[in-house]
Amino acid sequence: MQIVTQKDANITQVSPKKSLSPLAMARKKFLRNKLAMISLIFLVIVAIVSFLAPYITTADITKVNIGQMSLKPSSEHWLGTDKSGRDVFTRLLYGGRISLLVGISCTFFVVFIGTLIGSIAGYFGGIIDSLLMRFTDFILNFPFLVFVIVINAILFGKVSGLWVLIAVISLLYWGGVARIVRSKILSEKENEYITAAISIGCSPAKVIIKHLLPNILSTIIVQATITFATMIVIESALSYLGFGVPQEVPSWGNMLNSANEPDVLQYKLWIWVPPALLITLTILSINFIGEGLKDAFNPKSKR
Amino acid sequence: MSVKNSFKEEILLEVKNLQTAFEIDGTYYNAVDNVSFKVKPGQIVGVVGESGCGKSVMSLSIMQLLPKGIGKVKSGEIIFDGFHLENMSESQMNKIRGKDVSMIFQEPMTSLNPVFTIGYQLQEVLFNHMKISKKEARQKSIALLKSVGISRPEKIVDEYPHQLSGGMRQRVMIAIAIACQPKLLIADEPTTALDVTVQAQILELLKKIQKVNDMAIILITHDLGVVAEMCDEVMVMYAGKIVERTNVDSLFYNPKHPYTSLLLGAIPKMDQEEERLSSIQGMVPSLINMPTSGCRFANRCPMAMPECSTTTPLLAENEEGHEVACLQYETSKPREEVR
Repeated sequence: MQIVTQKDANITQVSPKKSLSPLAMARKKFLRNKLAMISLIFLVIVAIVSFLAPYITTADITKVNIGQMSLKPSSEHWLGTDKSGRDVFTRLLYGGRISLLVGISCTFFVVFIGTLIGSIAGYFGGIIDSLLMRFTDFILNFPFLVFVIVINAILFGKVSGLWVLIAVISLLYWGGVARIVRSKILSEKENEYITAAISIGCSPAKVIIKHLLPNILSTIIVQATITFATMIVIESALSYLGFGVPQEVPSWGNMLNSANEPDVLQYKLWIWVPPALLITLTILSINFIGEGLKDAFNPKSKR
Repeated sequence: MSVKNSFKEEILLEVKNLQTAFEIDGTYYNAVDNVSFKVKPGQIVGVVGESGCGKSVMSLSIMQLLPKGIGKVKSGEIIFDGFHLENMSESQMNKIRGKDVSMIFQEPMTSLNPVFTIGYQLQEVLFNHMKISKKEARQKSIALLKSVGISRPEKIVDEYPHQLSGGMRQRVMIAIAIACQPKLLIADEPTTALDVTVQAQILELLKKIQKVNDMAIILITHDLGVVAEMCDEVMVMYAGKIVERTNVDSLFYNPKHPYTSLLLGAIPKMDQEEERLSSIQGMVPSLINMPTSGCRFANRCPMAMPECSTTTPLLAENEEGHEVACLQYETSKPREEVR
C-alpha cells in the first residue's frame, strides 16, 4: 500500500501538465506557424501605427496646400505630397485608421448577422430554414454596386458617410457566412451529444450557443479572417470608384482614387504606390493568418 | 414521497396505445404501433428485438426527442408521474428531461461534446435543474464521477472527452444521466459499443445505481444475455408492436411467441459444436412494406397458419403475468365483436 501511494504521488508530480483544450492546442499550433506569426505582427504594427497617427505626425490631412502640390519624397515629406499638396505619409496613417475600422466593423456585423441567421436556420430546419435561406438568397442576389451607389445618392450629405457605408456593406454581405454556418450546424447537430444535451434539459438557445457554436467556432474564425480581407478590398474598390468613404476623409482606397490620371500613374509613383502596397500587404497578411488558423484548427495537420 | 412507497401497485410510467409515425414522401408510417406498457418505480424493464423494431423510436417518443419535422407521436398517451408528456411544450419538457427522466445513448464516443471538459458537461445538467453554486457543482460532479467508479475523479473533471476511453465515457454519460437522481432512466443500448469486459462493468454499475437511487430503468438492447442479467420484466418487440411481455424467468424457460423462441435459439451456444449459427430467415419489414393486416411476423414464422396473414393477433394475458400476441393462443384471437 505504501509503495502504491508513493508511486501515485510520483506520477502526479511528473505530469502536472493541465490537459489542453482544443482551443489551447490550436493556439499552440498557430504560434509555431512562422508565416502566420509574421503576418500577425505586421498587421498589429499597421494597426497600432494607424491608431496612433495623431501622435506620430502633426501635418493637417485635409488642408489643401497649393504651394506644395505633387512634391517628391524629401526629408520634410517622407513620401512626398499628393496633387492637392497633402502629405502622403500622414494620409497613409490616417487612411489605415479608416480602412481598418471599416474592415473590422464590417467583419463584425457580417459574421454576427451571418452566424445568427445561419445557426437559427440550421438548427430549427423546416419552414424557418426555408424562409431564412430564401431571404439569404434574395440578399445574395442583390446587385451590390448598384445598391451602394443608390444608397449613397439618397443619403448623400444627410448622414455621416462612413457608417452608412459600413451598414450597407454589412447588410449585403452576410449571406455567404450564413450559408456556411448553416451547413456546418446541419452536420454538427446530427451528433449524439446534441441529443444528449437536449435530453438533460437544455433549451434550444442554450444548445445553439453553448454546444453548437463552440464546435463550429474554427469555421467562423476562419470565415471572419476571409471576410476581413474582402472588406478591405471592397472599401478600397468603392472608394476608388468614388462611392465609398467620403472624399475628404483619407482612406487607402481614396488615396488610390487620385491615381486615375496617366500622368500620376506614370511619373508620380509616390502618390499611389504606398497605399497600393499597404492594401496588398495587409490583405496578404490577413490571408496568411486565416490560413494559419485553418491549419491550427485542423486536427489532422501536423505543424 | 413517503406515501408513494407504501403503494405496491404504483405506476411511474404508463404508455397507452402509443403510435409514433415517420413521414416518408408525404405519408405517415407507424414505426411504433399501438404500444402499451407500464413501468413501476424501481423496476428494470428490458425491451428486446431486432434492429428496426422500433425500440429506440419508442424511447425517443417518451423523451419527446424525435427528429423534428420527420417523426411525431401520432396518438396515444405517455403518462409519467401523473403528467401527460405527449401534450407538453418544449420548455415544460426541458424541466423534466435530465431531472426526472434521463437517457443514456448507444455511442459513448459521440455523446459528449468534444470542446468542453467532463466537469463542464456534468455541471451543465446540475445548473439546468438546481440552484447551486459553482463550487458546489464542482464538488458534486467529482462525487458523481466517483460514484460511477472513475478513479482520480479530481483529475478527470478537467479532462476532455477525447482523453477518455469508451468505457470511461459511458461512465461519464451515466454520471450525467443520474446527476439529478431521476426516477426513470432510459438506457438505449448502453453497452453495444463497448467491449465485453467493459459491458459487464457498466451493467454492474447500472444495477448498483438502480438499487441505491431506487430508480426505474427501461433497458433497450438486442442482447438477451444483458436482459437475463439485469431485467425484472421483458418486452419483446417486433415491427413496432409488442409481441410478448413477461418476467425474465418465464421468457427464458417458457417463451410463447415463435419470434421469442427463435431469438433465444439464435444465441450461440458455447457447449455445442455447430456448423452454422441458427438465424431467423428474412428481415424485419421496412416501414413502407409493413403488412396492413394479419400478424407482422407471419411471413417469417415457421408455425404460420393460413389465418395469420388475415387476422391481427392481440396482446393478451395467456398465463398469469405472461402476455403474448400470437394466434396459436386462444386468448390472442380477436373476438368477433371487436373486429
